[in-house]
Amino acid sequence: MKYRFVIDPVLCTGCRTCELACAFSHAKNLKQGRSRIYPLSHAQDKYVPITCLQCDDAACVKSCFFNALRRNEITGAIELDLNRCVKCMACVAACPFGCALFDDIHNEVVKCDLCKGDPACAHFCPTKALKYTKL
Amino acid sequence: MVTIQINGKLVQAEKGEMLIAVIRRQRIDIPALCHHDAVEPCGSCRLCMVEITKKDWDGWSKFVTSCLYPVEPDLIVSTHSPRVVELRKTILDLYLARSPKSEIIQRMAAEYGITQTSYQEVPDGDNCIMCYACTRVCEELGCNAISAVQRGHKKIIAPPLGEPPVDCVGCLSCANICPTHFIEWNDDNGKRTIWGKQFELVSCKICGKKTITRDFAEYLVRKRNIPANYFEICDDCKRTELTKSMGKIVIAAQEISK
Repeated sequence: MKYRFVIDPVLCTGCRTCELACAFSHAKNLKQGRSRIYPLSHAQDKYVPITCLQCDDAACVKSCFFNALRRNEITGAIELDLNRCVKCMACVAACPFGCALFDDIHNEVVKCDLCKGDPACAHFCPTKALKYTKL
Repeated sequence: MVTIQINGKLVQAEKGEMLIAVIRRQRIDIPALCHHDAVEPCGSCRLCMVEITKKDWDGWSKFVTSCLYPVEPDLIVSTHSPRVVELRKTILDLYLARSPKSEIIQRMAAEYGITQTSYQEVPDGDNCIMCYACTRVCEELGCNAISAVQRGHKKIIAPPLGEPPVDCVGCLSCANICPTHFIEWNDDNGKRTIWGKQFELVSCKICGKKTITRDFAEYLVRKRNIPANYFEICDDCKRTELTKSMGKIVIAAQEISK
């Protein structure tokens, strides 16, 4: 794996630009998608951007009976093939970090796919708390 | 790699790939009801029919269901030739007679210029078109809770003996894959009912949000080796919990670096 998505919570100011960037870059049919990243507060003015951690032994991949979730070997991200998804919600329930989500507007399961190797959130993060860098 | 010709255009395809995948990748719209990438193709709806020929077939051609036909070298495919369109129109006309109330069939038929069936409508015709998508998806899950029962025009999809299915886990895969939205289910008051069986939904320990059924959670634990405590809380609360534990690590790391 050449590149890694690096989150530095110390730099995060909770401005939620990443959420906007994610929702707009995953827009479909002229409607925003559900954001795959959430800067959540754990103490006053302290935030941690929570997104899919692309686990090595991922519970979502194990829980999928239809092989809809597969790892993209180039980007290292686990990608969801919507053509194979039957919305059984197994991955949403099984993810121990709650990062497989259900999008009510588009009525589909969504998860971070690192924007096929060019994450929009990392581009827009003003403090560089989110980075997509060579390790 | 195999080179085939679709509507006069040369196209590359992987060996062993089904024709429908290649055609749809070229952004050519061919209708299909029973086809879904998650399950094995079975070619029961017949709507994805295409006409195929080869140069050495002396002008002969044949009609095949593209979801079941693997690509062959030098194949010449036409997806909207007059004969295929005529064939598709007849099938849609018959579907419209069988399921006049189905929205997706009405829409598909309207695309081919049919608004009223030329056959006699089936009285009390339901929306089930016998595509077996639900039974195939249940088989893929390893449950086999439903199947086709009875014969001829009485054939329906139902659980064995018409009783609540023992093997059903209430995952709703069958209801979600059904192209005509025929399979009925409802979630009410923490209980889910499908195929006449009632399931208890797992409530989040923290916020009480309902997630999947307890049977499905137990099935995932048993079949896929997922720890049972992953299903205790909902995805929103899991993210909050993760933030709290990550926050502790951040604060500890900051103190060490001071």
